[in-house]
Amino acid sequence: MNLLRAELRRVLATRMWGGLLLTAVALGGGLVGLMALVGPENFDPPMPGLHTEEGLRSILGILGFTAFVPAAAGALAATSEYRHGTAAVTFLFAPRRGRVLAAKLATHAIVGLGYGIALAGSAGAALFAVAAVRGVSLGLPAPTVLALLARIGVAMAVYLLVGTGVGALLRNQIAAVCVVVGYLYLAEPVLMMIPGVNALYPLLPGGATAALTDFTYVADAMSAQLGSDAVALLPPAAGALLLTGYAIAAAAIAVVVPMRRDIT
Amino acid sequence: MTGDHLSIEASGLTKRYGDVTAVHDLTFTVRPGAVTGFLGPNGAGKTTTLRMLTGLVTPTSGAATIGGQPYGRLTQPSRTVGAVFDGNAFHPGHTARDHLRLYAAMAGCPDSRVAELLDLLGLAHAADRRTRGFSTGMRQRLSLATALLGDPRVLLLDEPSNGLDPEGMSWLRGLLRRLADEGRTVLVSSHVLHEVQQVVDDVVVIRRGELVAAGPWSRLTGPPTVLVTSPDADALATALTAAAGSVEAAGPGRLRVRGLDAPRVADLAADHRLRIHELVTETTSLEQLFLDLTTDPAEAR
Repeated sequence: MNLLRAELRRVLATRMWGGLLLTAVALGGGLVGLMALVGPENFDPPMPGLHTEEGLRSILGILGFTAFVPAAAGALAATSEYRHGTAAVTFLFAPRRGRVLAAKLATHAIVGLGYGIALAGSAGAALFAVAAVRGVSLGLPAPTVLALLARIGVAMAVYLLVGTGVGALLRNQIAAVCVVVGYLYLAEPVLMMIPGVNALYPLLPGGATAALTDFTYVADAMSAQLGSDAVALLPPAAGALLLTGYAIAAAAIAVVVPMRRDIT
Repeated sequence: MTGDHLSIEASGLTKRYGDVTAVHDLTFTVRPGAVTGFLGPNGAGKTTTLRMLTGLVTPTSGAATIGGQPYGRLTQPSRTVGAVFDGNAFHPGHTARDHLRLYAAMAGCPDSRVAELLDLLGLAHAADRRTRGFSTGMRQRLSLATALLGDPRVLLLDEPSNGLDPEGMSWLRGLLRRLADEGRTVLVSSHVLHEVQQVVDDVVVIRRGELVAAGPWSRLTGPPTVLVTSPDADALATALTAAAGSVEAAGPGRLRVRGLDAPRVADLAADHRLRIHELVTETTSLEQLFLDLTTDPAEAR
């Protein structure tokens, strides 16, 4: 309990968490609000409008592409103690490293959920507000929209944990952030385009997220452009399971890898 | 653990990194109630040894205990051992108070302890500034404050004098003396000897990861010698030898005398009506001893 309190204090004392919450609201409320305000039907190329199921899902699904933010935050948080040399102090105070690493993991999960709630909550608020103002009736019933938003929120927490796993493995802050952002922002979309390899896409974190949030627009558009068959995403439940698997694997790495490593 | 007098025991500590042996078969004891200097040139393996004592680095072989327990088995580590390895281990965005509050929580200390330490270390005025703006001296003080949070019985400091001004160093020596006098165990590593010379009771000297000397400082340095300059050196040598002194030539007209103190040498010279131009009592400085102990014969050529 002391360790968890300490880790929460560690996070709350920095400016990062405030910045992270602001980012969540800016991306969630700001981005979704803006897209809804402009209307997907006015995009170039035009997308289906908010009154259609497809248009609504697309707008929300785009939030999945902001996952590099919590992932980078996780990588930053996990490497911060190595970068600033406080890992030695922390392990002196808590030589049974498993406990403090578990406390860190719990803290990161809390921050991740907080981020997800802020992102999804503000996105939902913006969406419903704009729909009401524009007089558009949304293409999905409100409970379905809320459920989608909840899934996105949880996915964000998972990405934050994946980031901490990468951070624990690499320890070098810049490298970890580059790997995480580079993978999510560049590598994964590129993998999606390579014929053959893109069959793997449903099993990658991005594919699992897309499955969880029923967001097939990008995958479909890409397939259409490349003239290949549409990549079949996993069913949402399987996507959720796979994403949970990634979270557990990342959590295991974040706890087990630093257990016996020399701190020099 | 309060009131306990805890020894540090290293037995056969060895650490290899690939082909490089950083520390080899190191065995020594650090007693409570004394300040022990852990000395050796840069790269001798001091930091690696201290990290092995505290479980940060796992020894390749051998073991280390504090009060009979390996560090990892201590029930209240931060109340037993306080250690400073790197006087710069803070999140730059944390204030001094944030930093101490976080580790106070980890140690299970009340937050009132934070204010006490900020006062003790003279950091109260900077408590709410972010550490990124701290001077080296302030960083050292904050590191020390962190180590002292749990009021530990054992204090390990790795090169604490780095970045401290002479005043800060003198203050630190006073603090170490006081802590040792309270029965605590204090181990201070340094490669700059004159900074710890005035405060150490015992020394452990290593070179290239191996133990060179260990024991009370007074026993290692031996009794003082007397250097005497006289135009009547030959006659004086005869007289001193007759009085059971041990005499050796130390240059033209100079003698180094063991077994007799300066007043006795002067009295004997007067008895024999011999002239003395200079009379100096030499205490072997730790620096010389250290150089003698750590100079590699192969490198000294």
